[in-house]
Amino acid sequence: MLNKPCTVDMKVCLKSLHLINPTVLTSGVLGVSYSLMKRVEEAGAGAITTKTITKEPREGYWNPVFVDLGYGYVNAIGLRNPGVDVFREEIRRAKKIIRIPIIGSVGGRDLDEFVYVAEEMLEAGCDSLELNLSCPHVSGYGGDIGSDVELTSKIIKEVKSISEKPVSAKLSASHAKKNFIEKYIDAGIDIIAAINTLRAMVVNIDSMTPVLSNIVGGLSGPCIRPIALAVIYDIHREFPDIPLIGVGGVEDWMSAVEMILVGASAVGIGSAIAKKGLSIFKEIVKGLEKYMEEKGFRSVKDLTGYIHRN
Amino acid sequence: MVLRDPYIPATIIEINQLTENIREYCVKLDKSIDPEPGQFAMIWIPKVGEIPISFADWICEEKIAVFVIARVGKVTGYIQENFKTGSKMYVRGPLGRSFTIREGAKCLLMGGGYGLAPLYYLAKKLLEKKCRLKIILGFKNGSDVFYVNKFRVLGDTEISTEDGKIGVRGTLIDVLEKVMNSERYDMVYACGREELLIKIALICNAKNTPLEVSMERLIKCGQGVCGTCVIEPSGLLVCRDGPVFDGKILLEIKNHSSENFTRSIKIVCRGASDAK
Repeated sequence: MLNKPCTVDMKVCLKSLHLINPTVLTSGVLGVSYSLMKRVEEAGAGAITTKTITKEPREGYWNPVFVDLGYGYVNAIGLRNPGVDVFREEIRRAKKIIRIPIIGSVGGRDLDEFVYVAEEMLEAGCDSLELNLSCPHVSGYGGDIGSDVELTSKIIKEVKSISEKPVSAKLSASHAKKNFIEKYIDAGIDIIAAINTLRAMVVNIDSMTPVLSNIVGGLSGPCIRPIALAVIYDIHREFPDIPLIGVGGVEDWMSAVEMILVGASAVGIGSAIAKKGLSIFKEIVKGLEKYMEEKGFRSVKDLTGYIHRN
Repeated sequence: MVLRDPYIPATIIEINQLTENIREYCVKLDKSIDPEPGQFAMIWIPKVGEIPISFADWICEEKIAVFVIARVGKVTGYIQENFKTGSKMYVRGPLGRSFTIREGAKCLLMGGGYGLAPLYYLAKKLLEKKCRLKIILGFKNGSDVFYVNKFRVLGDTEISTEDGKIGVRGTLIDVLEKVMNSERYDMVYACGREELLIKIALICNAKNTPLEVSMERLIKCGQGVCGTCVIEPSGLLVCRDGPVFDGKILLEIKNHSSENFTRSIKIVCRGASDAK
C-alpha cells in the first residue's frame, strides 16, 4: 500500500484515448443527439459512446422496448438510429461543443457496412470507434457478427487499416473467450469493452404473453454485474496489456471500484441512469476518488487489476 | 396477484364516446398509484403495443384512472375497435414530472383539442388548493367539443371553435389575447399542439406570466434512457424531465437535428400520435 497522497489522479488512458475520469456513457443510452451528449458531459462523464449507428436508418422495435424489473432491466430497442448519413451531422455538431472524447459505436451486418459506417464516423470527428459485436436481439447484427470470429477479425483488421483512432470491440459475455480475443489482438484491436446485455425475456403471467414487442431483448443492470466482473477478471488475467472498459451493472462508486479492481481501466454507465439519472457520473467519480484517497492510491491505473497482483 | 414486472393490470369499467374520434376510458387498477396532475402512464396492450397517455383523472379511493384516447394510430385504433367494459389493459406509471401547484393562485388553464385531458385532473387538484380558475378550451369544430360541462363545474370556462358552432369563432389564442389584456394571472397551464403552445409561450413571455406546458414526443422507454423523446436544443427528455416543462422551453425550440433524427426514420418528431 502506498503512502496516503494529497491528490488522486482520476485521468485514465485507453491507448491514445485520454479520459478526465474513468466513467464512460455506454452505447445505446442517450447518445442519440448532440444536446443529450452535451448534458452527459456536463453531468461529469469521462467519455461518451454514441448509440450504435448503421448504414441505413433503423426504426427499431415497437413498444414495449424497456422493462424495469427492479433487479435489472430488459430492453429491445432494436438498434433504432437515423443512419450514418444523418448521424454524422449530429457528431459534427457535438464535436463543436463537447470536449470529452466521443466514441462512435459502429453497427453492421457485414464487413462492408462496418467499414462504411466506421469511415463516416471518423470523418465526422469521432475520437474512437467501438464495434458492436454483441447486441443480443437484432438478427444479423451484433452478437450474430461476434459469434463468427473469422469475420470479426477481418472487420477489426479493415477498420483498423482506415483508423488512426483507437478501435474497441464491444463483446458479449459468451464471446469474451481467450481464443477469440487472441485473434482480435492479432487483428489490431486497441481496447475491449465488455459485457453487452445478455439475451433475455420477460413474461407476464396475467396476460400470459411476453412483454417486449420483440419477445427477446437484453438484460442489463445490477443482476449482471457478477457476470461482467468475471469476464473482465478473465480478460485482464490473460491479456493484462489491453485496456478494458468494464460494462454491466455499474450503478454506484462501489460497483465501479469492483470493476476496476478486477482489471477495468474505465467503467461503462448505462441503464443505471434509469434509476439515478445523470447525477450518477459525479456520484461515481466522487466516491471513487474518496475510496482511492482512503486506500492510498494515487491513480486509477494503480487500482486497475489490483486483485490480480495481490 | 403479486406484480413481477412494472405493469399493473387494469379493467375497463366504463367507456364514454366524447366525440366521433375520442373516447373516455375509466379503468380500475389492481394497485393504487396516486399520480400527480400532468404525469402520464404507459398503457400496454399485450401483443399490440404500448402508448403514453396522461391522466385525465384519478379517483384515489376506488383506484380508478381516466384516460381520454383519440383514435390516431395502431394502438389507439385497436383499443377503440376491440375494447369493451371488462377488457383488460396494463398500466406502467405514473411517470414524468407533474404541474406545479401554488396554493391560492389565480390560474389560467388552456387546452386545445384532445390534448386538454390532463387539465381536468389538474383543475380538480388546483381547486383542492384553493386556486381560482379561468379555463379556455379551443376546438376545431363544434363536433369536436368535449368535457366542457365538466370544466364549467370547476371554473369560469370559455370555448372557441374555428367553425364558430360553439363559443367564440376562432382559436383559443384569440380568446387568450382578450383575457390576458384584461386580467393578470399568477400561473398559466397549457396543453395541446406544439404550434399552439409556442404562441401561448410568446404571449405569456411578453406579459411576464409564468407558464407550464405539457409536451409531446414519441416516447419509447419512458424512463429517460433511450433518448428518443429529446427536445432540442436543451437535451431535455419528455418522459423524464417532462412532460410538464416551463413554457420558456418553447421559445428555444428550433428546427434542430433531433427532428432530422426522427424524420429520417419516418416518424415525425411531434408525433407521439404516430405511435398511438
